[in-house]
Amino acid sequence: MKRFKTTKGLIGIVLLLAILLVAILGPMLIPADASTAMDMHARRSPPTWVHPFGTDQLGRDMMFRVILGARTSLEIAVSAVVMSVVLGLPLGLISGYFGGFIDNVLMRLVDTLLAFPALLLALTISAVLGPNIQNTIIAIGVAFTPYLARIIRGEALRVAQMPYVEAARSSGTTDIMIMIRHVLPNILPAVIVQGTISLAFAILAEAGLSFLGLGTQPPAASWGLMIQASRDQLDIAPWTALVPGLAVALTVLGLNMFGDVLRDILDPRAK
Amino acid sequence: MTYIINRLLSVILTLFLITLVTFAVTNILPGDVAMMIMGTQSNPEALSGLRQSLGLNDPLLVQYGHWVGGMVSGNWGNSLIFKKPILELLSQKAVASAIIVIMSMMIALALAIPLGVWAAVHRDRWQDTVSSSSALLGVSLPDFFWGIVMILVFARWLGWFPSSGFVEPSVNFWGTLQHAFLPSLALGLGLMAHLTRMTRSTMTGILSQEFIRVARAKGLAERTVVWRYALANAIGPVITIAGLQIGYLFGSIIVMESLFGYTGMGWLTYQALLNRDLPLIQDTVFVIAAVVMLTNLAVDLLYIVIDPRIRLG
Repeated sequence: MKRFKTTKGLIGIVLLLAILLVAILGPMLIPADASTAMDMHARRSPPTWVHPFGTDQLGRDMMFRVILGARTSLEIAVSAVVMSVVLGLPLGLISGYFGGFIDNVLMRLVDTLLAFPALLLALTISAVLGPNIQNTIIAIGVAFTPYLARIIRGEALRVAQMPYVEAARSSGTTDIMIMIRHVLPNILPAVIVQGTISLAFAILAEAGLSFLGLGTQPPAASWGLMIQASRDQLDIAPWTALVPGLAVALTVLGLNMFGDVLRDILDPRAK
Repeated sequence: MTYIINRLLSVILTLFLITLVTFAVTNILPGDVAMMIMGTQSNPEALSGLRQSLGLNDPLLVQYGHWVGGMVSGNWGNSLIFKKPILELLSQKAVASAIIVIMSMMIALALAIPLGVWAAVHRDRWQDTVSSSSALLGVSLPDFFWGIVMILVFARWLGWFPSSGFVEPSVNFWGTLQHAFLPSLALGLGLMAHLTRMTRSTMTGILSQEFIRVARAKGLAERTVVWRYALANAIGPVITIAGLQIGYLFGSIIVMESLFGYTGMGWLTYQALLNRDLPLIQDTVFVIAAVVMLTNLAVDLLYIVIDPRIRLG
């Protein structure tokens, strides 16, 4: 299993780096209008030399679109996870550190939020705010917050009982300073692991929202949107579903593998 | 007994909090709900009429009171798009969703338990790698992608199952199952991955315990040791995790039912969201959260029944 884990980590890192590279460099190298340019002579063209990944129903190049989609997906996923950490960190930290009444009230709220399936919450927020990229980020970010707050609270609870926290407290350090100087650095590994795994879920959530028309809006390129568009032409142009599907799968696979290994390294207690 | 009473009180409190969150989320919009429903070009008189009929001119607290009070007294309001009482719609659609939730859970468990046990028994060997890798692949693909693949393979190419729709169980129960099978399979595959990992890690822990060595030492067949002795002890945690996945499942049915045109609660929720049918959004979101919360409670209580070692303190 040990060898499998190292191989897994390696595959994860390579996949992630490749996708990051594509997402960052791709849009710079692709001519600005390439992803929306319609090749009317080659609509629903299967993969050829001119269009290595084929074209969609409007004759748009699938390779360019899937590369631009990488940018959209990652941008939304990263922003959403950052947002949920920014919201969840103080919640969990305060709740776990102080315990008692504050903890009871905050965790009751978090438990209530956890009763709402993340996708339902994200879809509802996006529908109410009106679907666009910014609101997709808010929707996913808010929906993921209770999960992060829960995990951070558990970690903070554990660290708050450590002797060094006790020592700091008895030497008169203020609660805020203890939280920032002693608790935060010690829960950071768990936050990083959870953040990485949340990224994988955020990619899936963005794809799901866009697939349902309540995420990224056309003509922007998004993997979920591309899969949505492929539904009516599956039998004649299966590559229109397979190309974006594979893109989602590879990204999420990379994040999951990387997250698993990261957990083994940073968080040896979690097995 | 006090434990159960405490739990029930906490259920009522949580239900109340769920109504608060639902109301807050559906009313965060600074803009005008009536205009959202009718479009910006609609005539002012119709707009103010709609506002009046939706009670949008009342203060938020009054609106909230109306909504919760209505639900308690059995008046759940009317859907704007279906022009029907919402309670009636919900009770119609609930059966359809219950069928695919149960079916996908059964499919997931039927696949995950053997696969997880297999991986644990052959720990660190190729069987383990195969099982772990397929579980990893399962979580990495969006379930609607599986859904599309199912439609393509089993409905379009092979023609074994219908690609969309729903049949009332009272009309044709066999037809209901046929329509429910593909969406359930797609949901089950996504679910399976988590459960396989859980089964594997729980079984690995149990297989290294004393009583397993004793069972082997007294000459029991390996099959009896694994499936009778070890699995009996692993099933509790696995069922608990399966129960916790109910929340995830209720999110996924929105996508899956819409993809398969399977007219259950998920489909209804999606129609409400897409058409900004505010009363229907509020009620469906509330019902789904309440069902998830109650299922989690049921799983907790079930666990106490299954595992007599748990003492209530």
